[in-house]
Amino acid sequence: MVAPLYTTASGLLFHAGKILVVTVGLPARGKTHISRALERYLRWAGVKTTVISLGDYRRKTIGGAQRLPPDYFTLGEKTTDTEALRKKCLEGCEQLIWDFFKDGQVVIYDANNGTAGQRRRVAEKFASAGIHVIFLESICDDPSIIERNIRSVKISSPDVQSSRLQWQYRGWNPDKAVEDYYRRIKDHEKNYEPVEELDWPHIRIINVGEKILVNAIQGYLQSRIIFFLMNIHNRPRTIYFARSGHSLIEHSYKADADLSDVGWEYAEKLRDFVLERREKSLKQRGIDPKGSRLAIWTSARRRAHHTAWPFIQAADPKNPGGPRCNVRVIEKPQMSEINPGVWDGLTPEQARKYYPQEWERFVKDPYSFRAPRAESYHDLSVRLEPTLIELERQQEDLLIIGHASVIRCLLAYLIGLPASEIPAIEVARGDLYEVVPASYGVESHALHFWDGPGRRHDADHPHELTPDGTPNQNNFYENYAEDTRGKRKATMTEEDAEAIRNAQHPLDGGSSPEPTPMTSHGQATPAST
Amino acid sequence: MAERNKLYYSTHEAHNALDRVDVELLRVKSASAHDYGDTPSSPNYPPVFRAGGSRLKQFDESQVGSRIMSQSATPPRSVVGIGGRVAKPDYSEAKIVLAMVGLPARGKSYLSNKLMRYLQWLEYDVKVFNVGQLRRSRARQKREQGINENHSADYFSNDNREATRSREQLAQDSLEMLIEWLKAGGNVGIHDATNSTKERRTKIKERVEREKGIVVIFLESVCDDPAVIAANVALKVSSGDPDYKDMSPETAEADFLRRIQAYEKVYETITEPDLSYLRIKNVGAQVSVCRIHGYLQSRIAFYLMNLHLKPRSIFVSRHGESQFNVEGKIGGDAPLSERGLAYAKQLPNLIKDNIGDASLTVWTSTLQRTIQTAENLPYHKLTWKSLDELDAGVCDGMTYEEIEHAYPEDFVNRDEDKFNYRYRGGESYRDVVVRLEPVIMELERQENILIIGHQAILRCLYAYFHNLPQADLPYIKIPLHTVIKLTPKAYGCDEERYTLPIGAVDTHRPKPKSTQLVIPPSVSRRQYYADSETK
Repeated sequence: MVAPLYTTASGLLFHAGKILVVTVGLPARGKTHISRALERYLRWAGVKTTVISLGDYRRKTIGGAQRLPPDYFTLGEKTTDTEALRKKCLEGCEQLIWDFFKDGQVVIYDANNGTAGQRRRVAEKFASAGIHVIFLESICDDPSIIERNIRSVKISSPDVQSSRLQWQYRGWNPDKAVEDYYRRIKDHEKNYEPVEELDWPHIRIINVGEKILVNAIQGYLQSRIIFFLMNIHNRPRTIYFARSGHSLIEHSYKADADLSDVGWEYAEKLRDFVLERREKSLKQRGIDPKGSRLAIWTSARRRAHHTAWPFIQAADPKNPGGPRCNVRVIEKPQMSEINPGVWDGLTPEQARKYYPQEWERFVKDPYSFRAPRAESYHDLSVRLEPTLIELERQQEDLLIIGHASVIRCLLAYLIGLPASEIPAIEVARGDLYEVVPASYGVESHALHFWDGPGRRHDADHPHELTPDGTPNQNNFYENYAEDTRGKRKATMTEEDAEAIRNAQHPLDGGSSPEPTPMTSHGQATPAST
Repeated sequence: MAERNKLYYSTHEAHNALDRVDVELLRVKSASAHDYGDTPSSPNYPPVFRAGGSRLKQFDESQVGSRIMSQSATPPRSVVGIGGRVAKPDYSEAKIVLAMVGLPARGKSYLSNKLMRYLQWLEYDVKVFNVGQLRRSRARQKREQGINENHSADYFSNDNREATRSREQLAQDSLEMLIEWLKAGGNVGIHDATNSTKERRTKIKERVEREKGIVVIFLESVCDDPAVIAANVALKVSSGDPDYKDMSPETAEADFLRRIQAYEKVYETITEPDLSYLRIKNVGAQVSVCRIHGYLQSRIAFYLMNLHLKPRSIFVSRHGESQFNVEGKIGGDAPLSERGLAYAKQLPNLIKDNIGDASLTVWTSTLQRTIQTAENLPYHKLTWKSLDELDAGVCDGMTYEEIEHAYPEDFVNRDEDKFNYRYRGGESYRDVVVRLEPVIMELERQENILIIGHQAILRCLYAYFHNLPQADLPYIKIPLHTVIKLTPKAYGCDEERYTLPIGAVDTHRPKPKSTQLVIPPSVSRRQYYADSETK
């Protein structure tokens, strides 16, 4: 069972002890992509995990390639100064690993480790301290994957945080840059020794998840790691999230109500917006949008399933002019919204009124508090874990039509937010969340496509009827977990919240003016009502 | 506990009263709850929508329907009543030949049976095609025609050319039957044979590659633990294998060991670089995964990685009788009745008598009746949200009579297809199986476990251990105040039941208008003949 906030006294989970994952592979083989994905998954599972990258360490402490002696990367004899510099760099990096192991559980050591001698030295050193060492080798025999890696990651990544060489190649002709990079890694290739030593546990990933070979891996956490690695890939794709349309009874879990008129309208808007947006981006990538299937996952709740209905209609081959799109809709019962238990049907105000003690505990810890007979966000995360694996596996573009609580958990996983942040993520009806897995994480945007009743909470009129007795169009009871704004820990001051609201997520680099970058909590995207 | 008890309240009356008050407001198109103000009689707030009150019905009737529903040629399912049937997930794209590889007595059949149970429980269509069974069945047919075949170790020697040809033929026929079955709609066909040579495996691979949409993965079972092999040999010899029908155990063992030697001579472990395979050493102690891709394949690998062979027992018991049981209500979070408390008091002795000083972990749900039942148990306890009772949605807290009264037609519908019936705002048995999958995975990894659970939950778990079909699952008898001890064995599970002499209501509802369910005798024995050809 894996879920965030699953803690033990030792801080170690699954009786697995401490694990050092040593990556092995030539540059541009997807090592960092795999390392980051694994880190994100293990962190989400509550395991204290970090990636320590030799390259990043070197750049940070010594500087970029132009500050290195010319023989730093080349083969053969090196000057004593260079040797000393390399040694200093390795030792410093290893010290970081030891430091993290003081209270962390898993370190992924992201470096080339291309020779058997290098690997053995590292492995023996850490194994002698009782740490389980696993070699994680990434091999590509598909030149197109390597080239794509070089182009998108090493040279022209728009993602400032993640770029390594971009600054070096700024202003270069891309083809020239690729050529130059190939030349740089050629020496590594000559020197490279694939992992053949079978005395260490070893995972070999071929073409970023296409094939996987495992040797002598034991233990539950390790088997989880393999299960995860067996399901990841780095083919380009987009994941969209949207809330289901407005339903006849917004606030009742049990009534499982159908869409209202407004909800059906929303569903059509959603369809048009997604199809249009996707068509544009597929065309940019040179793919025919009609041939490329869009998978749609909905929960088993009627309002979610019915929000996908216009897509099914649009895909009907009997339509005049043929099908507009190619979709496959799958209903997933694991994706139901958080079960509100005895708070079903209550507004947050009513829950506070009728269950004051429980409410107080809830606002203190909105992530792990479980109302009577309800699910906590933690319970929800546990429930969603199998869905996450399927989400990693999914190769087609995917639209998830779901509920605020579910979207929060899934977004938090993809973006890499800590569990405690999950309840506070703003998920507005009428926003489409677009997540594109990139080399070192994801790029995410919130795109506003719909305005209407129930888009967001109306703080001035928290009740359904306005004081003069007319129905309040803009407010629909949303329960404690499903409302747009989410819940933040009560201990946080308004300034803290403001700071978070204003901070862009680190993974969101510069983005085009049109989509709004997502924030972990977002009043940052004012509705244009 | 006092605080917990406070949460238990019977709100039927308060609820009906509220219904009357609020009928008017339902006219608002988007019906919603309202601020009822303080209701002095009940500090807490009753569920707004449930099958017993009038609001749900009125809500359903008040729906003018949605625009699209009336226009669409194939409208979405209507949303009324207390629930509806749900279709089985579409697994039609999954078609896998799982070919076993390994010497005799290496646990191949154990692994294939185990895997079959797991996948069948998840509603994949799985069938084991055991070449040994086919061989025995055919030999029996021939025997009936007066032809006696010699199936002693000589038959398995590679030097016996005629027998080798005959064995080849059997393996091939078995594979053809398997492919036929996959094409007819199966998901995973397990080819249970030794498949011990590269040549054999190449043939299988080439044969399967000719079929579009079917993939083959090999599962090699390697065992170098002499104790495990000896146990497997002893089991083989003593368990009534017809091959050894008229032999003394000593002769039988000698013959079986000679058979193994015959295979060892030609056995080649998988080294072929292009095969997709899993190699399991000592049943889960070590697993190699090569060229395995695909979601179902990775699930299979993960499952196999979590198996172990250590002897252990899984104890399951429902919570003691609860207040709701006494009142005939379903769901809820009621505390135990007097008799339920008595059960909780005596449970520790029963467990202690059974396992002595062995270690044990207790799992409960998050509902107070299971926590109370486990209260006196002196073991490490874990609370699992996934073990909570099936959510009856709008029917939660009602008696079956009340539900029948409120929604007679829906009630009959549920009885007709209980496994697939999802309560409105709640769950179906199928949903529960999906939610319990991680629990099963965890159970496979653990040793002695006592689960204090609920009727529907334990039915689902029980069906996994005994491989019972989905249609029968909702009718399995799991009485109150009874501990069921399940001990995994080579080919299934042994079961013992201990009932404490503390009275309790019977919450079992038999399948209406149908013959009483006959639960097949728990098969913890090996099957020696192929299904279709058994007499």
